[in-house]
Amino acid sequence: MTSFARLATVAASLAVVLVAIPANAGAVLDRVMAAKTLKVATDANWAPQSFMNDKNELDGFDVDVAKNVGQRLGVKVEFVTPGWDIITAGKWAGRWDVDVGSMTPSKERAKIFDFPAVYYYTPAVVAVHKDSKATKFSDLDGKVVGTTATSTFEAYAKQDLTLDASGAPPFKYEFKPKEVKSYANSTTAFDDLRLGDGTRLDVVVSSLPSVRDAIKAGYPIKQLGEPVFYEPLAIAIEHGDKEFSDKIADAIKDMKADGTLSKLSVKWYGIDYTVVK
Amino acid sequence: MLYPDTVESEVLVHKPWFVATLFAAVLVVFLLFNLTGTSFGELMRPVIGDPGTSGLYGRFAIAFAIAVMFALNVVLIGFAPLRLQIAIVWLELLILFLAFFETFHLSLPFIEEKLPFMITQGLVTTIYVSAISIIIASAIAVLGAVAKLSNNGFAYAIASFYTSFFRGLPLLMQVYLIYLGLPQLGFVIDAVPAGILALSLCYGAYMTEIFRSGIQSIDRGQWEASRSMGFGFGVTMRKIILPQALPVIIPPTGNQFISMLKDSSLVSVIGVWELMFLARTLGQKTFQHMEMLVSAAMLYWILSICLELVQSRIERHYARSKVR
Repeated sequence: MTSFARLATVAASLAVVLVAIPANAGAVLDRVMAAKTLKVATDANWAPQSFMNDKNELDGFDVDVAKNVGQRLGVKVEFVTPGWDIITAGKWAGRWDVDVGSMTPSKERAKIFDFPAVYYYTPAVVAVHKDSKATKFSDLDGKVVGTTATSTFEAYAKQDLTLDASGAPPFKYEFKPKEVKSYANSTTAFDDLRLGDGTRLDVVVSSLPSVRDAIKAGYPIKQLGEPVFYEPLAIAIEHGDKEFSDKIADAIKDMKADGTLSKLSVKWYGIDYTVVK
Repeated sequence: MLYPDTVESEVLVHKPWFVATLFAAVLVVFLLFNLTGTSFGELMRPVIGDPGTSGLYGRFAIAFAIAVMFALNVVLIGFAPLRLQIAIVWLELLILFLAFFETFHLSLPFIEEKLPFMITQGLVTTIYVSAISIIIASAIAVLGAVAKLSNNGFAYAIASFYTSFFRGLPLLMQVYLIYLGLPQLGFVIDAVPAGILALSLCYGAYMTEIFRSGIQSIDRGQWEASRSMGFGFGVTMRKIILPQALPVIIPPTGNQFISMLKDSSLVSVIGVWELMFLARTLGQKTFQHMEMLVSAAMLYWILSICLELVQSRIERHYARSKVR
């Protein structure tokens, strides 16, 4: 083959790829039922929601909830672990069916996702180094704050948070940071905070469970004050499959009714986060 | 060696001025740091008394001791034969590294527990992803190099556009573009093939340039002689040009293989459970990620050393004609 003919072949195969495949309603549920597997996207780096346990398997609150939903749908659950930013970008293209990854529903996200069910609330708290002299939130004005990139904690620190899902408790901005540093995950932010008060960070805004875990693991940090906001967390699916959405909503409703969800929350957090205090 | 000749000269590290300069430099550098609080300060206790209160004298004594040890070490190594020198210096640097990791207080039982999974899941994935990418990239590189050297404007344009584009974008971005972009065209690609595609295309572009420059480094007289004997393009390439170009091509290609092995870690962002992904995930729950990062680093290093050894064997093979 001449190099020209070879190139022509490449061009032709590219053209074939350019033909788009449309999705249709009910397709996701059909796919799940046909394959008898529910493909769940979740973060592998977000203990205790989802993480690798001692047996090198995914484990955690989100993982247990997903398994339970699968059980109630009568299908096997299979996990995939793309980066969080890839999950929230949407356009899943059938790679996975549902995200059980503690996603905060918002109007922006509602443009690409349906949120069949809010399954728990996470109190968001402010953590400082244990040598920090701050005693109240106003002491944190003009400080350097670390958060997870594209999280609600980042939005809160940047004073750009909208919690517009139904049932989200009201909140107010307690302090005004000088700079907000965004990290790929909360552990890196804690790693920077542990270096010393103000060495790289003064404050980390994160979820109460991860702050408590970090303290338990010996990080020299402490929680400051009460939770600054309660973040509703939902299961997310892509638009366009009402039946699938209803099935998941029913499954979560059942789990709430028979106490499974509260039990799982207590198992993983020691506290029932499925209700707002 | 650059040029081993037979002129006998005194070894550099035995010249008094060099040893003196080295000694002074090390002394100054270590005077800048206060090492009285370290275990080395403890070691010097018989000479300087309580390290905490020894002040400037303690600092000087420690720096002096280190400088003496360093200079003596260098002078002594100078007496050894070449191979022994190399071995000793390697060993010393390795010990320094281990001492550095020792300061992290890593939990060895945890590493021991996780290592089998890191190898069976992570290392295996890393190896097969890089191996497939290396094969595809090499194939692309041969095609690309031929196209870039051809007189066909169409082929040249496509090949040069390809190398320019894929060398001009960060590999991480290519991984995202392929994984997230191709589904927009209706072509849903899984994480592993997406990673392999991105690695192959990126490294194919670099290697295209390596192959091209290797082929071009052969004198045009070789082409002319070959053509005048009636050889066609294919035979000239296979029998005359490539055998001469390979010794030029192999060292930078080996470099590319090693660097591809490590860049395969970038596909962890799309959720492939390879070495880097596990290194970031396994110790997360218990905040023992330093253990996992260090173990993964060691595994990458061992793999790279294997590739280095293979490369040096191949280079020796092609250097046979230059041996006297």
